[in-house]
Amino acid sequence: MGMSAQDKMITVANRLGLTSLKDMQGTTRMVYDSNTTAALTHTLFKGASQRAFPLTNVGANGNQFQVDEALLVEKIGFFIPSAADGIAYTGIAAAGRSIKFDLVIGNKTVIKDATCELGGEQAFFNDGASASGVIDLEGVGILIPPQVEYYVVAKPFSTALRVGTSDRLGCYLFGTGALLNFNTTI
Amino acid sequence: MANQVQKLAYVDSKLGVSLPGQQTTRVIYDSVNATAGQQFFEFFTNFAGKTEFQTNLTTNKLDSAESMVIKSIQIIMNSATSNLADHLNLNITVGNQVVVKDFDPSFNATNRGVAFDRLHSGFNDGTNLELRLLTDIVIPPQVNFKATLQVSNALVAVNDDITIIFKGYGRIFSAGASF
Repeated sequence: MGMSAQDKMITVANRLGLTSLKDMQGTTRMVYDSNTTAALTHTLFKGASQRAFPLTNVGANGNQFQVDEALLVEKIGFFIPSAADGIAYTGIAAAGRSIKFDLVIGNKTVIKDATCELGGEQAFFNDGASASGVIDLEGVGILIPPQVEYYVVAKPFSTALRVGTSDRLGCYLFGTGALLNFNTTI
Repeated sequence: MANQVQKLAYVDSKLGVSLPGQQTTRVIYDSVNATAGQQFFEFFTNFAGKTEFQTNLTTNKLDSAESMVIKSIQIIMNSATSNLADHLNLNITVGNQVVVKDFDPSFNATNRGVAFDRLHSGFNDGTNLELRLLTDIVIPPQVNFKATLQVSNALVAVNDDITIIFKGYGRIFSAGASF
């Protein structure tokens, strides 16, 4: 029998000694970060506390979740900011890009040398003319626990030509989350 | 894993709501008329002077025997100059608890290929998007709730309208006896 996202969060949290995570507020959560300077390699989320909305939504905690907050990453999407202000953005389809990336949590690389290939989600793709820039994680997903730093190292490249390209880049991590909920008065 | 019906019954019972109620599909909405350049919107906090098509609530809480589970959130903007396709920041608060935090639903707008949920991004529209939640968020009876939305572009014009709609499973009052 398959494990649900909530089950995996609780199981991993318990293994890490985070026994109170099960009492927190369940939610649907996403974090994103973007780099509006074109580059061949981007390290996203690292140092994100220095950036403000709309470049990122991680806030003052930066690339780690606060106590008793977590995110089970179920989808990873990439986008390209349209300008330096980071307000507008396009999908990677507009530029014909795919993304090679690593996801690092703590000192552990949990996704290694993976690619988000343009159009790779076509089996479930029904939202129009643009190919997908989202990768669905197999299995239940990967948990980012509270108070552990995470970041994504991403390299855009031409999907067809298979050569690295210098682009602006953004990334989101989407999935089931937990928000801090005091279960007592303070 | 509890389904939405079980979760609503569980949360209601924890809060001491024992009436069975009529099970239903619930839709609640609120619309805000903007001022020029407005970038921060608050929903379900001001109902004065709104028509039945702008909001279907008169207070920012459900009735004593009513509750619902939010399964999906739709946002609609009526604007010739602004859109929902640029970065957004959505927060939903139930009681004193933030239940959706710093969420950017703009990825489900238009057909850029970056949607969280393909089934709910089925058309190319930058002013009308829907987001399906992975988790069931309960609005219990008689508990205040609100939503806030920050729009990153400053292109909203005077009298533009932004509407937020919560959809899901719910319970409405059923006396279970004749009056």
